[in-house]
Amino acid sequence: MIRVCPLADLARGEAKRLDLDPAVAIFHTEDGEVLAIDDTCTHQDASLADGWLEGCEVECPLHSSKFDLRTGQVDAPPAKRPVRTHQVTITDGDIYLTIASEQPNAPAGVDVEAGP
Amino acid sequence: MSTTSLPESLISTLPGIYYTDEAIFALEQERIFEQLWFCAARSSDLAGPGSFKTVQIGRESIIVSRNRTGAVRAFYNVCRHRGAKLCTEDSGEIKRAFQCAYHAWTYDLDGALIAAPNLTKMPDVDRSEFGLMRVAVREWLGYVWLCLADEPPSFEQAVMQTVADRLGDLESIEHYDLDNLSVGRRIVYDVKANWKLIVENFMECYHCATIHPELTEVLPEFTDGYAAQYFVGHGAEFGQQIEGFTIDGSPGMDRIPGISDEQDRRYYAITIKPQVFINLVPDHVIFHRMYPVAPDHTIVECDWLYLPAVVESGQDVSLSVELFDRVNRQDFDACERCQPAMSSRVYAGGGVLVPSEHHIGAFHDWVRAQLSDVT
Repeated sequence: MIRVCPLADLARGEAKRLDLDPAVAIFHTEDGEVLAIDDTCTHQDASLADGWLEGCEVECPLHSSKFDLRTGQVDAPPAKRPVRTHQVTITDGDIYLTIASEQPNAPAGVDVEAGP
Repeated sequence: MSTTSLPESLISTLPGIYYTDEAIFALEQERIFEQLWFCAARSSDLAGPGSFKTVQIGRESIIVSRNRTGAVRAFYNVCRHRGAKLCTEDSGEIKRAFQCAYHAWTYDLDGALIAAPNLTKMPDVDRSEFGLMRVAVREWLGYVWLCLADEPPSFEQAVMQTVADRLGDLESIEHYDLDNLSVGRRIVYDVKANWKLIVENFMECYHCATIHPELTEVLPEFTDGYAAQYFVGHGAEFGQQIEGFTIDGSPGMDRIPGISDEQDRRYYAITIKPQVFINLVPDHVIFHRMYPVAPDHTIVECDWLYLPAVVESGQDVSLSVELFDRVNRQDFDACERCQPAMSSRVYAGGGVLVPSEHHIGAFHDWVRAQLSDVT
């Protein structure tokens, strides 16, 4: 379990990118939920923490793929594969993260030196 | 023409080449339109956050838009990555960000780089450093004014003082409350003439009795050939039988409440170099913006501004619009009549200005000074 930051440091509507390997995005929704997914869009390497949070969904800033923050599933293309979700707990006002054990879905070109 | 000396009544215009030459036009774009304050849009054209217009200023395409808080921002329409044009439409509304259609570099409404493919793998790339290049912005008289210069000249000196010099003081224009007037009509004119011919035409009234029968009917003193711009603070008075600034002299709309009694029944004209002309009459304001596109081609966008109640209630403004629309067409026809002759061998040395046009000589001196290498 990783201690992320005090809950008070992540305002509602905001997101935070954790520079882990692979990176994780933590969102504090307008409704007060704190949810974590892989930060990298599975379509092309972009930070979902830089994307647009709407309800319980994030839209990738690059090509508008949408992911459900609760399930990691793709709600809108062009992404096809889901991101992982990670377990978040709040203890004594701090956010803690437990990284999922399954393999992440990295976009093409990430972790591999490749071009078109 | 040879260099024979002119009789005292006459002074020379600019040589013909100033109205035709691509190199001189390019220099004007660089030294005038890309250096001075340029009136780019009516503030109300940018309705709210994310609404934008693209405007050509000199040789540059500029995006004007409103950020999240409603403040006006302007940027060069050039992606910082590989230079692709970000916005190709003349106007529109974006939801959240400007995004390049080439590699998807994405900028927020303040121009900061917020996302790009693999950006997180380049932590040394400063997102504000690689944001869109900003352009200086001012809002005044309900218009958005931009300046592309690295060090913009003082707006107060360059723009506001020009108005004060013409009208005698700045309060005189504030009486018309341009900030809060509404656009009742906009007409865009495509004029096949050099921008300076249009400025010169606007500055003098020697032509009024010949080409503006309707205008001289409303403003009889214009038949004398002395434009309102010849005297500081002078407004041309409506003729005795004239009830309003309309095509047939019939009454206009409700008078703008802030104007003084001295301003009632009078017409004022202001030129703000290099590309704005303003006409003030008791019930409306006519605001022209020029966009020079080529040595022989200028777009003129003209707004007729009225009290919001006049526009909201759908009152018929066509009689007042028609008067100056006709004046504009008469003027632009005259400019287009001059343009082809600018390249004539007999106009190589230019033409002449009569005494009531001598103040145009100051405009020519100004143009020459802007283009000269002397700083």
